[in-house]
Amino acid sequence: MTNRWFKDAGIHPLIGYVLAMAAFVGISAYLFYKTPYAVYVYPLLALSLAGKLSELKRNDFLSQCFPKRKLNQLRITENVLAVLPFVFFLCYKQYFLFACVLPLFASLLAFARFRTTANITIPTPFAKKPFEFIVGFRNSFYLFLLTYAVSLIACFVGNFNLGLFALMISFGVCLFFYVKPEHEYFVWSYKLDGRQFLLRKIATALLHVSVIVLPIVLLLGCFFYHDIGMLLLFLAIGYAFLIYMIVAKYAAYPSEMSLMQTILLAVCIAMPLFLIVLIPYFFCVPQNI
Amino acid sequence: MIKLQNLSKSYGSKTVLQNINLQFERGHVYGIVGKNGAGKTTLFRCIAGLEDYSGNIQSDKDRLKDHLGLLLTEPYFFPKITGAEYIRLLCNARDVKVDNLDQRNVFDLPLGQYAATYSTGMKKKLALTALLLQQNEYFILDEPFNGVDIQSNIVIVEIIRKLRELGKTVIISSHIFSTLSETCDEIHLLREGEIVRSVHEQEFASLEQEMKVDFVGGLVERILGSGQ
Repeated sequence: MTNRWFKDAGIHPLIGYVLAMAAFVGISAYLFYKTPYAVYVYPLLALSLAGKLSELKRNDFLSQCFPKRKLNQLRITENVLAVLPFVFFLCYKQYFLFACVLPLFASLLAFARFRTTANITIPTPFAKKPFEFIVGFRNSFYLFLLTYAVSLIACFVGNFNLGLFALMISFGVCLFFYVKPEHEYFVWSYKLDGRQFLLRKIATALLHVSVIVLPIVLLLGCFFYHDIGMLLLFLAIGYAFLIYMIVAKYAAYPSEMSLMQTILLAVCIAMPLFLIVLIPYFFCVPQNI
Repeated sequence: MIKLQNLSKSYGSKTVLQNINLQFERGHVYGIVGKNGAGKTTLFRCIAGLEDYSGNIQSDKDRLKDHLGLLLTEPYFFPKITGAEYIRLLCNARDVKVDNLDQRNVFDLPLGQYAATYSTGMKKKLALTALLLQQNEYFILDEPFNGVDIQSNIVIVEIIRKLRELGKTVIISSHIFSTLSETCDEIHLLREGEIVRSVHEQEFASLEQEMKVDFVGGLVERILGSGQ
């Protein structure tokens, strides 16, 4: 399945595994560099990853396929394999006690069964205009709460840059709402041609993202009114990135965004002016919508 | 009116539809029957414009798809979208405003719950409700009775009859022949991508009998033995 995922993303599986490994080592090293509590956070991260394999439906299915003994063996193997990269990194960091205890806890976790998603309808302010922000908000509302808290802290400690960081994180989270292509039925249903469809998607996205970042913008605008120019500039950059995501997504539709588009997005993070060229380009390429 | 002329569709070397010539008139209900894999869903997807095809599809509307309500065999739902939001999404897509959703919820669906958690029948009813609220001129209903309870089954049959009265064009596929014979004006039998027979109301019984012989043959004896 992972191989297929890499192939769909246009990456050779071998390169994909090397990149994933490099990303894992990079993030792990960064975590340990950044906080002295990493040694406690790290095993918890590993267990939360292994915990995903304990999902109720998945395990119900497995229990229908395998006898109990074999199922237990399989689940323990899965969980130990899932935490193995973390164990290696803990060994590398010479936290041998944690490295030994982690597989044990992962093995115990193999016997647990639980729902990874709660069946509670989370209220959303975006219910009138489905669907990206409805789904996205419900998946990541806590991140927005976090960015509001960070921007509040930024105001109290008088750190404008921290406020801008919170603003860009909010935009970043919203960009992820547009990563996956939706089922063709939801594009087909629209009584619009390709260009009108894109314009409507962009208009809805700009409206909704404005609602999300409004508290941050108001806070920063009030507390750092002398930096209002910079605030507006970052706001414009955020909007531009969101528009880029939408036009790039539908330029690749029904496939996922290509590797090239992702690389271009990374280039734009370093040089946002590049967006001025890329947005009209992807807006005008023939779209399969 | 929807007119199909020499409609053919292939996936590589595999021909799925071959020279389909059909005409669907306003105020009529049409049934498409055939075994699994006969090409019913592909035919519907071609009419909807979701598949490339050779041949010609004409209608009395500029863009057929803008006036077409398509009920998929297995309607797709986003993981965290409620029934009400799903309906709003589909109605927004057609620029139709929906008022009094609670009153129009004839299947008594829990519209405040995530649609992805609905049962198969509830999903079908939700998707059908959305299509009806879209105020379409044409309807393609792929297995509308799948997984639906007996009460809703009766309601759907009545809805289809009402659509005919309102001058809409309805095309249905179903594995339950009785639901088709109750609602359709004409039934087309699709076999291996070809329309092999088209019958009107008075011949439905003979078609059903013919299909029984054709589809069942000696299959029951083959799996259960001859009973000795």
